[in-house]
Amino acid sequence: MVLDKLGSSLKNSVRKIVKKGRIDKETVNELATDIQRALLKSDVDVELVQELTDKIKDRALNEEPPKGASSREHVIRIVYEEMLEIVGEETEVPMEEQDIMLVGLQGSGKTTTAAKLANYFQKKGLKPGLICGDTFRPGAYNQLKELSQRIDSVFYGEKESEDAIQVVKNGLNELKDSKVRIVDTAGRHSLESDLIDEMEQINEVVEPDKKFLVIDASIGKGVKDQANSFNEAIGIDGVIITKLDGTAKGGGALTAVSEAETNIAFLGTGEKLNELEEFEPDSFISRLLGMGDIEKLAQRAEERLSEEEMDMESMMKGDITLKDVYNQLESINKLGPLNQIMSMIPGGFNLPDDALDVTKEKMQIYKIIMDSMTEEEMKNPQKINSSRVERIAKGSGTTRESVNELLKYHKMMKKVMKQMKGGRTPMKKMMKKFMG
Amino acid sequence: MFDNLKKKINIFESKVKEKTQEKASEEKEDKEKTQEQKQEQEQEQERASLGQKAKKFVTERKVFLDEDDVEPYLEELKLSLLKSDVALEVSEKIVEKLESNLVGEEIKWRENSEKYVKKAFKEALIDVFPSEFNFFDFIEEKDKPINILFVGTNGVGKTTTIAKISKALEEKGYSSVLANGDTFRAGAIQQLDKHGENIDKKVIKHEKGGDPAAVIYDAVEYSEANNVDVVLGDTAGRMHTDVNLMDQIKKIKRVTKPDLIVFVDEAVAGSDAVERAKEFDEAVDVDAVILSKIDADVKGGAAISISHTIEKPIIFVGTGQGYEDIKEFNTDWFVGQILE
Repeated sequence: MVLDKLGSSLKNSVRKIVKKGRIDKETVNELATDIQRALLKSDVDVELVQELTDKIKDRALNEEPPKGASSREHVIRIVYEEMLEIVGEETEVPMEEQDIMLVGLQGSGKTTTAAKLANYFQKKGLKPGLICGDTFRPGAYNQLKELSQRIDSVFYGEKESEDAIQVVKNGLNELKDSKVRIVDTAGRHSLESDLIDEMEQINEVVEPDKKFLVIDASIGKGVKDQANSFNEAIGIDGVIITKLDGTAKGGGALTAVSEAETNIAFLGTGEKLNELEEFEPDSFISRLLGMGDIEKLAQRAEERLSEEEMDMESMMKGDITLKDVYNQLESINKLGPLNQIMSMIPGGFNLPDDALDVTKEKMQIYKIIMDSMTEEEMKNPQKINSSRVERIAKGSGTTRESVNELLKYHKMMKKVMKQMKGGRTPMKKMMKKFMG
Repeated sequence: MFDNLKKKINIFESKVKEKTQEKASEEKEDKEKTQEQKQEQEQEQERASLGQKAKKFVTERKVFLDEDDVEPYLEELKLSLLKSDVALEVSEKIVEKLESNLVGEEIKWRENSEKYVKKAFKEALIDVFPSEFNFFDFIEEKDKPINILFVGTNGVGKTTTIAKISKALEEKGYSSVLANGDTFRAGAIQQLDKHGENIDKKVIKHEKGGDPAAVIYDAVEYSEANNVDVVLGDTAGRMHTDVNLMDQIKKIKRVTKPDLIVFVDEAVAGSDAVERAKEFDEAVDVDAVILSKIDADVKGGAAISISHTIEKPIIFVGTGQGYEDIKEFNTDWFVGQILE
C-alpha cells in the first residue's frame, strides 16, 4: 500500500476534522491546502487544482452531511466526488474489430504500448496486428518487430522505407486478417509541423476507430499545449498514461484529458508486455492523492460485506474455509489482497512479516487448484488427505507441493483471523470506524 | 522557450514595483500607460488588470518593503513557477529566497526599483544553479580514453543524446566510440547501430540480454588499444524505483569506473524530474545533467528543479532530432531567458 508522507498528512488533516466534531473554516482550509500540495506535486494543472479546492472548500463548508454520515466521511466523499469529476469516467474498450492509432511525444512509450495493446486484445481473443508507422527513429522497426514476436502477433513494417504513410497503407493491406490493427507512429511534438502533417495524413489513411494519445506519467505542464495540438490535428479518443511504475503520479495526464475532452483509457505500469491496466478512476485518484485506496476500499467493503460473499462474522470466529480463501482471491482485484486490507485498518495487527504477502501469480495458482476441489473439500479442508491432494494436483495440473502450500496458506489465514478475534474490536466495527 | 516563466516573472516584478510605488505616493500616469499597454499584449485579461493596478501609482520616495507588501505576490509567483514546471519544493525555496532578498530593503523606485527586483530574483534563481561545468575543457584535460556513462529513465533520449555528443566531440577534434549498454530494450542495439552508421562511429556491442558492464568495459579496452578519446556508454532506461535495475547501474559504475556520469532527463518532465534525479544521484553519484527535448515547447522548469535538487551542473540541452541539435548549457543564458 502506497501511503507516503503526503498521504498521511492528508489523513491527519481529515482526522482533525473528526476530532473537532464540527467542521470549521480553518480545518477545511487546511485540508484544501494539503490537497493542493498533493496535486501540485503530482503535476496537475495549477488552475485545475485551484478550481477543485475551491469547490471542495465550498461544499465542505456549506453542505450538510447526509443523515447518518459523519463529517469526516462527508468530507472524504466530497474530495472523492470532486476528484472524480476531473478524472472522468473509465473508457469503454469495445471487444470488436478495430483499428487503433497511437500518437504522442518522443519517448512517451508508444511502441511498447502498441505491443501491450496487441497483447491485451490477443488475451481477449481478438487477433492483433502491429504496424510500424515510425520510419524516423532508428531501431523503431526492430523494436516493434521484436516485441511482436515476443507476444506472437502479426507484424508489418518496412525497414528501409522513409515514407510512413505508404508503409501504413501497405500494412493495412497486409494485415487484413487481423481483428485489431494497431498502428505505431513516430514521436513528434506540437512544434514539428511537418511531423504533425505526416500524422494527419496517416490518420486519413488509417481512419482509426480509436486514436490514443500516449503520455509519459512524468510529463509537466507542457502537456496542455501538446494535447491541444494533437487533438486539433487528428482528434483524440483517449489517453494512455505510461511509466506509472515510477514515482510520477500522472497528474499531467489529467490536463491532457480535460484539454482533449476525453478520458483515460489505459495505464502502463511496467516494462513487461502484460503491464497494461484498464483505467479505474478511483484507484487513480488514490494514487494522485497518495491516500491509498481508501474510498475504493470503503465502497467495495460495503458492497462486499452486504453481499455476504465473505462471511466476516464467521471468519472472525476463526471459521475460515477454503471457500473464503477462494472468495478472497476472486475479489483481489476488487478489494485488494488481505494484507493490504489489514494495512489499511488503523491500529494494525501484529502479523508476522510477509505472512500474507502472497504474489499475484501464486494467487492465480491457488485459484486454479481450488477449482479442482469438491464443494465438500472447500468447506472442510481438513478432509483433504494425501490421496485427495494427489487428485487435486493432477486435476489442476499443478504439483502436490503447490496444493500443500495452499492448505498451509489457508491454515495461516485461519490463525490470523483467530488472532484478530482476540482483539477488542470486532471486524465490522473496525471497518466502520475506519471508514467513518 | 521559457516565454511562459519569463512572462510570469515580469508580472511579478511589476507587482512588486507597484507596491513600492504605492507605498511612496500616488501620481504620474502617462509613463505607466505605455508599459501597461506593452504588458497587456502578453498577458491574459486577468493579469493585465493586475498590471494596470500595478502602474497606478508612481512616485519617487524611498520605501521599505515589508512582508505584507510582497506576500500575496509571492504566492502568485509561486504558482507561476509551478505552472512553468518548477517542482513545488523548489518553487517554495526560490520564493522564500526572493522574499528574504526583497523584504526590508530600501528601494528608490525612480532609479532602480525594476532593476532591483530583477537583481533580487536573479540572485534567488542563480542560487539554485551549481557552478558551471565546461564539458570540452574537461575532455581536453582528462587522460584518455575518457569513459562517460549515460543514465536515466526510459524514453528520455539517452541514445539520441549519445549520438549527438559523439558528433559534437568530432567537431572539436575528439574521437569516440559508442558502447551499447542497453542490452534490454527491444530495438536498442539496432537503434545505436543505426546512429553509429549515420554518424560513422564504431559501436561496441554484445548480444541482447548480455552484461552491460562487460560491453562498456570492452569499449574502454578497445579505446585504449585504438587511441580513441572518449567512450560513450549507453545504458538501458530504468525506472528509479526498480531496485534490481538500480543495482545493475551501480554495478556498471563499479566495474567500468566511468570518469563522468551523465544523467539524462527530458525537459518536458514535471515534478517527477526531482524524484528521479535524486534517486539516480543517490545510486551512482551523478556528475552532470543533460536535458533533452527542450525544443518541444517546454516550460523550462525541469532545469531549475533538477539543478536545485541534486546540485549538479547541466552541461547540454537537446534542441531537436538532428545530430547537431545540441547546445551547451549556460546559466546566464538560461536565467537571461527568464529575466530579460
